[in-house]
Amino acid sequence: MSKRSFDVTRLPGTAVIAMACFVVLYIPMVILVGYSFNAGKVIGNWEGFSLKWYGAALQNEAFLNAALNSLILATTASVIATLFATMAALATTRTEKFRGEGAIHIILNQPLMVPEIVLAIALVIIIGQIKQMTVYTGLGFLIAAHTTFCIPFAYLPIRARLEGMDLSLETAAADLYASRFYAFRRVTLPLLAPGILSGFMLAFVVSLDDLIISDFLKSPGQDTLPTYLMGELKRNLTSEIYAISSLLLLLSVLIVAGSWVATRKKD
Amino acid sequence: MNGSDTGRRWALALPAVAVIMLFSILPLGVVLVYSFLTPGDFGNVKWIFSTEGWFSVLFERSIFDDTISISGANITILLRSVILAIATTLITLIFGLPTAWFIATRAPAQRNLWLFLITIPFWTNLLVRTIAVQEMIRSEGVFNRILLALGIIDAPIQMMFTDFAVLLGMTYVYLPLMVLPVYAAIEKFDFRLAEASYDLYASRFFCLRRVILPLIRPGIIAGSILVFVPALGAYITPRIMGGGKSMMLGNLIDLQFGQGRNWPLGAALSITLTVLVLLALIWYTRLTSGRKERDHV
Amino acid sequence: MLDIRGLSKRFGYGKGEVTALHEVSFQIAEREFFTLLGPSGCGKTTLLRLIAGFTGPSGGSIVLDGKDIAAMPPNRRPVNTVFQSYALFPHMTVGQNVAFALEAQGRPKSEIDPAIDEMLTLVQLLHLKHRKSSELSGGQQQRVALARALVARPRILLLDEPLSALDMKLRKDMQIELKRLQRETGLTFIFVTHDQEEALTMSDRIAVMSGGRVQQIATPRELYDRPANRFVAGFIGESNFLSAMASGGVVEVGDGKVHLADAPDGALTLMIRPEHVVLSAKAPDALQLEATVNQLVFFGTDTHVHLLLNDGTKIVARVQNALHAGQSFHEGERIFLSLPSNALRVVNEAEAEA
Repeated sequence: MSKRSFDVTRLPGTAVIAMACFVVLYIPMVILVGYSFNAGKVIGNWEGFSLKWYGAALQNEAFLNAALNSLILATTASVIATLFATMAALATTRTEKFRGEGAIHIILNQPLMVPEIVLAIALVIIIGQIKQMTVYTGLGFLIAAHTTFCIPFAYLPIRARLEGMDLSLETAAADLYASRFYAFRRVTLPLLAPGILSGFMLAFVVSLDDLIISDFLKSPGQDTLPTYLMGELKRNLTSEIYAISSLLLLLSVLIVAGSWVATRKKD
Repeated sequence: MNGSDTGRRWALALPAVAVIMLFSILPLGVVLVYSFLTPGDFGNVKWIFSTEGWFSVLFERSIFDDTISISGANITILLRSVILAIATTLITLIFGLPTAWFIATRAPAQRNLWLFLITIPFWTNLLVRTIAVQEMIRSEGVFNRILLALGIIDAPIQMMFTDFAVLLGMTYVYLPLMVLPVYAAIEKFDFRLAEASYDLYASRFFCLRRVILPLIRPGIIAGSILVFVPALGAYITPRIMGGGKSMMLGNLIDLQFGQGRNWPLGAALSITLTVLVLLALIWYTRLTSGRKERDHV
Repeated sequence: MLDIRGLSKRFGYGKGEVTALHEVSFQIAEREFFTLLGPSGCGKTTLLRLIAGFTGPSGGSIVLDGKDIAAMPPNRRPVNTVFQSYALFPHMTVGQNVAFALEAQGRPKSEIDPAIDEMLTLVQLLHLKHRKSSELSGGQQQRVALARALVARPRILLLDEPLSALDMKLRKDMQIELKRLQRETGLTFIFVTHDQEEALTMSDRIAVMSGGRVQQIATPRELYDRPANRFVAGFIGESNFLSAMASGGVVEVGDGKVHLADAPDGALTLMIRPEHVVLSAKAPDALQLEATVNQLVFFGTDTHVHLLLNDGTKIVARVQNALHAGQSFHEGERIFLSLPSNALRVVNEAEAEA
C-alpha cells in the first residue's frame, strides 16, 4: 500500500483542532456524569462509587413532579405545534405564490427572531393579566407558550421536505385515478412523514430544553425539569443535581440515537 | 390561482398563524407599549405616557438634583453583550471550522460517528451543559483542584463570575451550532474544484482563500448567525457563569422586571435587544440574497 | 375516437398573456400510435397535459368516445400518463406502484393481484416486484412507469418524452419495446417527443408542431416526402432550399430550368433531400446547375458533398460510399449537378397560422 502523496481533503492542523474540540466538548460532561456516582454529598470529595443519588432523585417527589410536567408539556406542545405546522406547511408550498404567503412565512418564523428572554417577559405581562382576570393557573398557559415557540421548529423541516418533494408524484397519483384525499393519504403524507417526524422531534426537544419561558410563566407546583434544576442550583450544588443532570444527558443521547435509527430506516 | 384556493390555504395556515399572533406578536406589541409608560410603585406600570424608560437605557438622573449623566452600568452591559456575542462567534468559528472540515473529510461510515458525537451536545439541555462547564472552573472545581493538588497554586483562582467565565461558557454551549451548518457546506463542496486549483498552481493557502472559503461561505455565515443571535440574547449561561458581576442584556432585562421594578426600562431594553437581533438577521439575509444574485450573473 | 376541436390554451393575464396553443384540431383513431413532434416550447407538452387533464383549456373541446372530457378532473379520465421523470412513488415497491391505479379505483384485491403480475410480466420485471422503485436502473424505472400507466387499461396512453432520460442504446431498445407493447395491448398511444428520428421510426402518424400550432399531420413517409412548409422540411430530415421563379409550370433557378406542373407563378422555394441530388450525371428531366465542391465530409456509409452554387446558395449532396469508387471529388473542383424534377418540392415559406 502506498500512501497518497497529495490529498486535497487534508488541511494541516484541522485534525488536531477537531480532536481538541471533541475533548473539550466531552470532558466536562464526562466529569459531570462521573461525579454523579460519588457516594459523598460534596461534589469534589470522591467517597467511592454509589448509585445513591440516582436513588434519591427517583424518590424525590419534586423531581418526579417536574419530570411529569416536562413530559406532559413537551408532548402536548409538540403534538399541537407539529399538527399546526404541518397544516401551515401544506398551505404554503407546492403552488404558485398567493397573496399573503410571504406574510404567513414571516409570522411563522417570527418566534425565532426574538430572544427567549424577551418573549418570556412579553408573555409574563400578558399572561399575568389573564391569570388575574380568569383565576385559571393550570398548565394551559405553559402549553400555549411552548406551542408558540415550537411551531417554527416544527415548520422548518416539514416545509423543507415538502419543497423537495417531486410535484409530478401528486400529478401522477391524480392521473392514476386517485382523488385529492386519496392522493394525500397514499402519496403526500407517507413522503412527508420523515419531515413530520423530525419536526416533531425538534419541537419536543426544544420544549424539553426550555428554561426561561417556563421559569417566568410557571405557577406554583408547575416546575419543569430545567426550572427545577435551576431552583436547586440556586440553593446548593449537590451530587443529586449532577445525577439529575446526567439523567437529562442520557435522555438526549437516547433521543439522538432514536432519531438516527428512525432516519436510517427511512433511507 | 383562484380566490377560493387562496382562502383554503389561509384557512389551513390559520391555527399556526393565530397561535403566534396571540402568544408572540401581540405580547411583543404590549412590550413596545409598556416601554412608553411610567413605572408602577411595586412593579408593573401606570398608564401615563413617558419616554423615561427609553431615556434610562443610556442615561440616568441623579435622585438628588436631577442632573443627567450617562448610565455607565447599562452601557457597560450593552457593550459587553455585543462584544461577548461577537467574541463567542469568532472563537466558535476558529474551532468549529476545522472541526467541521475534519468531520466532512472522513470516510462516510466514520463521518456518521463524528457527526453523532457533535449532535449529542447539540441536543443536550443548555442548563446541563452550563452546569458541566461550571464544574470545570468554579472555585472548588476541576481545574482548581488539579492546580492545588499539583502545588502550583495555594489558593483557588477565582474564575467564575467574570467575562472570561461567560465567554468560556457560551463558547462551550454554542460550538455545535457553528459546526453543523459549516459541516453541511463543506460536505457539499466539490473537492474536484480544489484539485483543479492545485492543477492551476495554487498553494494550499491560495486554494483555501480563493476557492474553498468563498464556496463554503454560506455555511460560515449561517453558523455565525446561529451562534451570534442566541449569544446576544443569552440569559442562562451569563446568569450562572457571570452571576451579578458579568451581566448581559438578558440579565439586565430580567433585573428590571424583578428587583429593579422598572418595567418600562425593562421593556425598552427588550425592544433594544430585539432590534439588535433583527439587525443581525437583516444583515444575514442581505449577505445571502446578495450572493444568490451574483450567482445568477 | 379522440377528437380535439379548436383547443387553445393561454397562460397569464393582460400584458403577460402567452398563448401556448392556438385552436388546435385533429382526430386520433383507435389503436393508433400518434406522435406530437416539435422543438421545445412548441406546445406539445401543453397539449398532452390538456388531454391528461392536469390543466384546463382556455377554449375548445376534447371529445373522447363522443363525450367532452375537457372539464373532467384527471382522476376521472380513462387516460394515463408515462411521465418524463417517471414520477414513480419512491416510498412504494414496484408492485405497489403498479397496483396504485387499481387501488385508487377501489377494485377488489382478487382483481388487483393478478393484474399486477400480468403487467409486470408484460414489461419483463416480475422478478423485481418487491424492490423499492428507487433501487432500479433508469430503464427498469421506465418499464415500471409503463406498467403502472397500463394496468388500468386506459383508453389512451400518453407518453411525455419517456425515453429522453435514457442513453442511446437503451433508447433504441425501448423504442422497439414500446412498439411491441402497443401491438400487444392494442391501445392508442399519444407520444410526445422532440426527436424526429424517434418519431419517424415509431409512429403511425405524426403531428409536427411549432409556435403552438399544428404544422402538418401525416404519416412519417408523407412528412418526409411532402413536407407542408419550410419548417416541417427543415425539422424532419435534412433539406436543401433553393429560391426560384416560376411561370406557366416552368421553374428557373439561376441558369437552370425545369418543368414542374404544380408550381404556382411567381417567386417560390424549392426543396430537395441531399440523397436525391445527382452529381455530374446529366439526368433527364432535371434541373441542371454548376457548382463548386466546397467541402467533403466522410460519414462511413456515405459522404456529404458540400457545394456552392454560383449565386452563393449552399447545397449538400449525399453520395453512397460504394466499394467501387465510381467517381471521386476533390475540394475546389467545378462540377455539374442535377436535381431530378420528381424529387423537387415546392414548399411554403410561411408556417401555418390557423
